[in-house]
Amino acid sequence: MTPHALLFTIAAIGISETSYLIQKRRAGVRPVCVIGEDCAKVLESKYNSLLGIPNDVLGFLFYAAVIVLNGSLVIDGALVRPWLQVIEIFLKIVILGGMGMSLSLFYLQWRVIKAWCFWCLMSAITTFLMGFIVLITNLAIF
Amino acid sequence: MEKASFHILRVGTGITFLWIGILILRDPEGWSGMILWWVRDVLGFFAPSPSGALVATAFLDIAVGFFMLIGVFTWIAALVGVLHLSLVLTVVGINLITVRDIGLLASALALLLDSMPDKYRFWTHKAQRSPAI
Repeated sequence: MTPHALLFTIAAIGISETSYLIQKRRAGVRPVCVIGEDCAKVLESKYNSLLGIPNDVLGFLFYAAVIVLNGSLVIDGALVRPWLQVIEIFLKIVILGGMGMSLSLFYLQWRVIKAWCFWCLMSAITTFLMGFIVLITNLAIF
Repeated sequence: MEKASFHILRVGTGITFLWIGILILRDPEGWSGMILWWVRDVLGFFAPSPSGALVATAFLDIAVGFFMLIGVFTWIAALVGVLHLSLVLTVVGINLITVRDIGLLASALALLLDSMPDKYRFWTHKAQRSPAI
C-alpha cells in the first residue's frame, strides 16, 4: 500500500501545482516564482506547449491519469479486477512518458532557454520521484 | 492566514479527503463496521446495506478532496467537508481512528473561514453596520 499512497500523494501535489499554473495563465497573471526570477521567461517561451496543448494542461492530465490508474489499483473493485495487470503496465508507461517529457523540458531550460523555472523543476522532481518509487517497489501492494 | 500556509493546508487536507475516499471504496463493508448501531438501524430504513451509504460518502470525500486540490470552490468544498466530518463524528463517535477527524475538521473549518467570500460573512456585516462608540 505504501508505494501507492506515495504515488498518490505526489500526483495530488502535481495536480494542485498544475491547476495553479492553469488558473494563472487563464487569468493572464504571472505565477509567483518561489525561487529565482526566471519562471516567466520559461513559462512564456515558445516551448510552453506541445502540439498546441499548453504544458500545464499536459501536466494536469498526466497527474490525473496517475491518480485514476493508481486509485483503480488500490480500490481493486470487481469492475477493474480483470484489468489490474493492464492498468499496472499502463501506469508504468504513463510515468515513463512523464519522465521523458520532464527530461526534455529540463534540457530545454538548461541548454536552450538558459533559465530555470521553479514550477517546472518541481514538476520534474515529482515525476522522477514517481519513477523512482515504481522502480524500487514495482508497485507491490504491501 | 498567510498565503503559503493556506495553500499547504488546502493541499494537505485535499489529499487526505481524496485518499480516504479511495480507501473507503476499497473496502466499504469494513468501514461500515465503524458506524454506531443506532445509525445502522436508521440507515436500514433507506438502504439494504450500510455499505451503500459508505460508497456515497467515498464519492463525496473524493469530490471535496479534488476541489480542495485544484483550488476551485474551495470554500464550498471546505463547508461540505465540515458538515460531513461533523456528521461522521456524530454517527461514528470518537474512537482510535476518528479521533484524527477532529484535526481534519479543524483544518476544513480553517479553510472555510479563510476562503469564504465576504458577502457570506454575516458576522463581519453586523460588525460593520454597528455604529462606532
